[in-house]
Amino acid sequence: MNSIFALSPFLILGLGALLFMLAEAFSLSNKGLGIVASVILFATSAFALATSFSGVQLSAVTPWILSDDLSKFFSVLLPFGAALVSLLAGGYLEEHRLNRGEFYTIILFSTFGAMTLAAAGDLLTILLGLETMSLGAYALSAFRRTSQRSVEAGLKYFLLGSFAAAIMLFGFAFLYGVTGHTDLAGIKNEIASAGINGRLVFAFVLIFVGIVFKLSVIPFHMWAPDAYEGAPTPASSLMAATVKAGAFAMAARLLVTVFGDAGFASWGTGWPPVLAWISVITMFVGNLIAGRQDSVKRMLAYSSVVHAGYMLIAFVTVSRAGAAEVSGLFFYLATYTVSTIGAFGALILAGSRGKEAVSYEDLSGLGKRHPAAALAFSFFLLSLAGIPPTAGFMGKWYILRSAINGGFTALAVAGFLASVLGAYYYLRVLQYMYTRDPAPGATVAVPMRSPMVYAALILSAVAVLALGFAPEATFRMAEAAAKSL
Amino acid sequence: MSTETKEPSSRSLMPLGILAAILFASFALVFAPSNQGFDGARGANHSLLSMLGGIAPFALSAVIAYLAPRDVGKGARATIAVIVGFIALFVSRMATESTEGGPESSTLLSWLLGLPIGTGIFILFLPRQSPKLIQGVTLVSMLGTLALSMSLLAAPMGRAFHFNQDIAWIPSFGIRYHVALDGISLWLVILTTFIVPIATYASFGSVTTRMKDWCFSLLLLQGAMIGAFVSLDLFLFYVFWELMLVPMYLMIGVWGGDNRRYAATKFFLYTMVGSVLMLGAILYLAYAYQKLAGVPSFDYFDLQRVMLPQHIQVFLFGAFLLSFVIKVPMFPVHTWLPDAHTEAPTAGSIILAAVMLKLGTYGYLRFNLGLFPEASHWAGANLAGVAVLGGILYGALCAWKQDDIKRLVAYSSVAHLGYVMLGIFAGTRASLEGAVLQMVNHGVSTGALFLLVGVIYDRRHTRMVNAFGGIAKVMPVYTAFFIIATLASIGVPGTNGFVGEFLVITGTVVSKNLGRFGAVQALGAALGVILGALYMLSMVEKVFFGPNDKEENKHLTDINSRELIAIVPLTVMIFVIGLFPNMFVDQIKEATARVQDDMQMRVQLNPPATTEAYGGYYQGAPKLVERRSEATPVAAARSEVK
Repeated sequence: MNSIFALSPFLILGLGALLFMLAEAFSLSNKGLGIVASVILFATSAFALATSFSGVQLSAVTPWILSDDLSKFFSVLLPFGAALVSLLAGGYLEEHRLNRGEFYTIILFSTFGAMTLAAAGDLLTILLGLETMSLGAYALSAFRRTSQRSVEAGLKYFLLGSFAAAIMLFGFAFLYGVTGHTDLAGIKNEIASAGINGRLVFAFVLIFVGIVFKLSVIPFHMWAPDAYEGAPTPASSLMAATVKAGAFAMAARLLVTVFGDAGFASWGTGWPPVLAWISVITMFVGNLIAGRQDSVKRMLAYSSVVHAGYMLIAFVTVSRAGAAEVSGLFFYLATYTVSTIGAFGALILAGSRGKEAVSYEDLSGLGKRHPAAALAFSFFLLSLAGIPPTAGFMGKWYILRSAINGGFTALAVAGFLASVLGAYYYLRVLQYMYTRDPAPGATVAVPMRSPMVYAALILSAVAVLALGFAPEATFRMAEAAAKSL
Repeated sequence: MSTETKEPSSRSLMPLGILAAILFASFALVFAPSNQGFDGARGANHSLLSMLGGIAPFALSAVIAYLAPRDVGKGARATIAVIVGFIALFVSRMATESTEGGPESSTLLSWLLGLPIGTGIFILFLPRQSPKLIQGVTLVSMLGTLALSMSLLAAPMGRAFHFNQDIAWIPSFGIRYHVALDGISLWLVILTTFIVPIATYASFGSVTTRMKDWCFSLLLLQGAMIGAFVSLDLFLFYVFWELMLVPMYLMIGVWGGDNRRYAATKFFLYTMVGSVLMLGAILYLAYAYQKLAGVPSFDYFDLQRVMLPQHIQVFLFGAFLLSFVIKVPMFPVHTWLPDAHTEAPTAGSIILAAVMLKLGTYGYLRFNLGLFPEASHWAGANLAGVAVLGGILYGALCAWKQDDIKRLVAYSSVAHLGYVMLGIFAGTRASLEGAVLQMVNHGVSTGALFLLVGVIYDRRHTRMVNAFGGIAKVMPVYTAFFIIATLASIGVPGTNGFVGEFLVITGTVVSKNLGRFGAVQALGAALGVILGALYMLSMVEKVFFGPNDKEENKHLTDINSRELIAIVPLTVMIFVIGLFPNMFVDQIKEATARVQDDMQMRVQLNPPATTEAYGGYYQGAPKLVERRSEATPVAAARSEVK
C-alpha cells in the first residue's frame, strides 16, 4: 500500500495521460482540454505534496524508481510548472488556431518523463526519462507545422538533443563497462572502492558533456535561443521551466551522487572548477548577448541560459560545503519555474492571432493598451532580475549565500555583478512597456484576453509572492531533497 | 472666490504679508515650549506663556488665512490656514512633550510602512477612469501616515531604540522582521511622511497621465523608504532598499523629460551595482556570525558583535560604502544624480532629493559606523577629504557652471550632502548631530527649491537661467518663497541650513578622527558655504531681478493655490528648524552619542598602530564581542532566550 501511495504521482500522471488521450480522441470540442490537462497535473503535484508531507519513507520502490525526498520535491515542482504551461497553452492554442489535443498529451507525457528522470535510480531509467521528456519537447517545438521557423526549431533541437543523448549513452556504456553496475548506488560504491582510472574519466567526460548540453549553458547553448524562438510560446515555457528542471535533477543525481566522491568533486581535481568557469562565462556572456537581442522571446531564452549559469554555482559549492548545499539549486528551480512561466505567459497575453508579441517594439505602450499584461510582465521580470520581495530574489540570495558559506566569495561576487547586467535587459522591457508609445503607423500586437492565461498568471504571481514572503516550507523541502542525495 | 479687482499697491504687499506671517508664525512659537527650556521663567509668566502657546496655532491659522493673497480662493486659504495651524500644534506639542513617555505601541512602525504599501495595492483595484478618486485615496492615506507618524514624538528619544517589533520571518536563516526607531531615524521617518504628501499634492497639478500608476509608485516608494529607515534586520533593510528602486525608476522613466529612459536606466543600474555588493557583504557578515554563534542571524545587534580581522572588514566596509556613496551621491559616483534630477518630474525630484538621498547618509551612519567601526575609523579621514573636495567644493563649482536651474539645484545637493558626510566622517558629537540635522534640513530646503523650480517649469517649459530675467515683477509671491528657500539652502542664520552646517563645521575642527587635517577640512567646508551663496544668489539675481525683457515672461501668472498649499508647510519648517533647532537636536543627540560611544569603544579595544600608516587594528581570527549596552531591551531579552 505504501508503495502505491509513494508511486501515486506517477500513477496519476501516467493513467491520466492515457485517459486524456482517449478522451481527446473521442471528444468533439477542444475547448476545455487545457483545463483538463492542468487538473491532471495539479492533482499529480498535490499527491506528490501529500506523499512528501505524509512522511512515508521508502528508500526505493524499486531499484529503478526512487521515492526519496529529491524525487518528491521534483514530483511537486515539475507537474506544477507543467500545469501552468497547460493553462497557457489552453489560451494560446485557441487564439492561434492551433488547438489540437496532441499538444496537451505531449505535455503530460513529457512531464512524466521529467518526473521519471528526477526519480531515476538507474542509468536506464535516466535514459528512459530523458528521452521521454526530450522527445515531447522536440515535438512541441515543431508543433506549428505551417511555420518554417517552428519546424526548423524542432529539427535543430531534435538533432542536437539526440546527439547529446547519444554521447551521454556512450558514456553510460563505458560506465557500465568499468563498474559493472547500472544502478547509481552501485556505481557510486564501485567508484569509491576501485578508485579512478582513465576509462572512468573518459566515461565521465562524455556524460558531463551530455549534461551541460541539456542544461544549455555556454558554450553548449547554441540550440536554445533558436528552439525557444521558433517554438509556440507555451512550448518555450515548458522547455525553459520543466524540461530544464528535469535536466537539473538529472545533473544533481549524476554529479553529486555518482561523481560526488572526493576524487571527482573536490575543488582541486574534479569537475567543480570546470563548472565554476562555465558558470562565470555563462552568466557574463549570456547576459551580454541577452542585452543585445531585439526579440523578447530570444531575450527570455538567453535569460534562461543565464539562470542555468547561476544554478551551476550551487553545484560548485558542493565541492567544499557538502551535498546539502545543493538545496539552493532546488529552491532556485522552484522560484525560476514560476517566474519564467509567468514571464512567458505575460508575453502570450501581449499578442494575439496573426500578430504575436515578439520584439521589444511589439511591447511599446503595453502599459496603456493592456495594463494587466504589462503589470504581470513587469512583476515576473523583476522576479527574474532578483528584486526583492519576489521569489527570484530569495532564490538568488539562497544560492549566493551557499556560495559565500562554502568559501566561494569570488564566484558569489561574479554572480552579484552578473545580476546587475541582467537587470539592464529586464528593465528594457519595462521601459518599452511603460515609457514608449508604438511608432505611428506601425502595426501593433493586439493583446488577447483569455481566462486560462489569466488563471495561469495569477497562480504564478501568487506562487512568486508566496516564495518571496514565506519561503520557509519550500526551503525545508529543498533541504530534505538535498540531504537525500 | 473673490472677484473684486485687485489694486496694484495691495498686490505688491502680498509677498511682504506672507513673509511677515511666516516670520510671525515662527516667532510665535517661542511661546510654545513654555514648559521647558525657560528655567528661570517658571514664575508668574508661566501660565501666560503656556496660554499663549495654546493659542498660537489658532492665531497663526487666522493670520495666515487673512494675509493670503486676494486671488487665492477661500477653500485654499482655509487649507493653508489649517496646515499652518497643524504645524504650530506639532511644534508646541513636541516642545512640551513629557519626559517619562507612555507605553509604546509595537505595531506603530508596521502601520507606518504598511499603510502606504497597502493603499498602493488597494489603488490597483480602483477604476482607472476616476483619477479624482485615486488622488483622494492617495492623499488621505498619506495624511493618515503623517498623522500616525506624529505619535512617534510621544516617546522621549534617549539612547535606546523605541517602538520595537521583532518577529521571526524565515527562521531557518535567522531572518527576522525587526523594526525599531531611534533619534536618528525618527526625523528621517517624519521627514518622509511630511515631504511625500506635499510632493504628491503638488504633482497633481502637473502630472495628468496614468494617475493610477503614478499614485501606486508614490505610495510604494513611501512605504519602502519608511521601511528602510526603520529596519534593524539587514535582510529586511535590503528588501526595502531594493524595493525603492522600482517605483523611482518608473517615476523617472514614465513621467520624466525627453532623455528620461537613459536617466532612469542609469539611476537603476548605478544603484544596483552598489547594492548587490552590499548584499554580498551582508551575506558574508551573517555567515561569519553563524560560524561564531552557531545560530544564523541577520539582526543588526547580532551582526554588530562580529569582530572581523582588518583585511576582511575593509572589503565588507567597502561594499557597504560603495552602495551608500552611490546613493548619497559622492564624487566620483555622483554622475547619475544630475541626469536623474534633470529628467525626473517635480515630485520625483523632491522625493529623490529630500528623502531618498538621505538613505545613503543614513545607511552609512547606521550600518558602516555600527558594523565596521574600526574600518570606518581607519577610512574616515581620507573619506572626509573626498567629501570636502569631491562633494562640497566640486559640487559647488559644478553648480556654479550650470545654466539649467534644476541641474544647479541637483549639484547643490551634491555639495550639501558633502556636509552631511563630512559630519559623519568627522565623528564628533557636534558634527554627528549636525549631520543628522542637516539631513532633515536639506530635505526641507531642497524639497522647497525643487518644488519651486517645478512651478516655473510648468509655466514656461524651460528651466534655463537665461530664459528668464526680472520675473520678480510679475511673480512677486513666488519670488518671495524662492528667496526664502535660497537663503535656507545657503545657510543664512535664522534658517535651518545655518544650524546644520554650523554644527558640522565646528564639529569638524575639533575632530580627532581627522587628525591634523580637521581644521583644513573645516576651512574647505566654510569655503563651500561661500561658494554656495555665490552660485545660488547669482542664479537668483539673473532669474528674478534685472529687466524683464523677454516677451513670454511678461505675463507669467503668480503661484496658484495648489502650489501655495504645497510650499507653505516647507517654508514654515525652514524657519521652525532654523529658530528652534534645539527641539530637534534634543531628540537626535542621545542617539548620535550612542553611535559615537560604540565606535570609540571598539576603536579603543583595537587601537590603530602608531608606527604603520595603515592597519594595526584587529588582525586575529573572527570573534564575537560583547553586546553593546544600549541594545534594545527586546533584542537583549531575545539573546538571553537563545
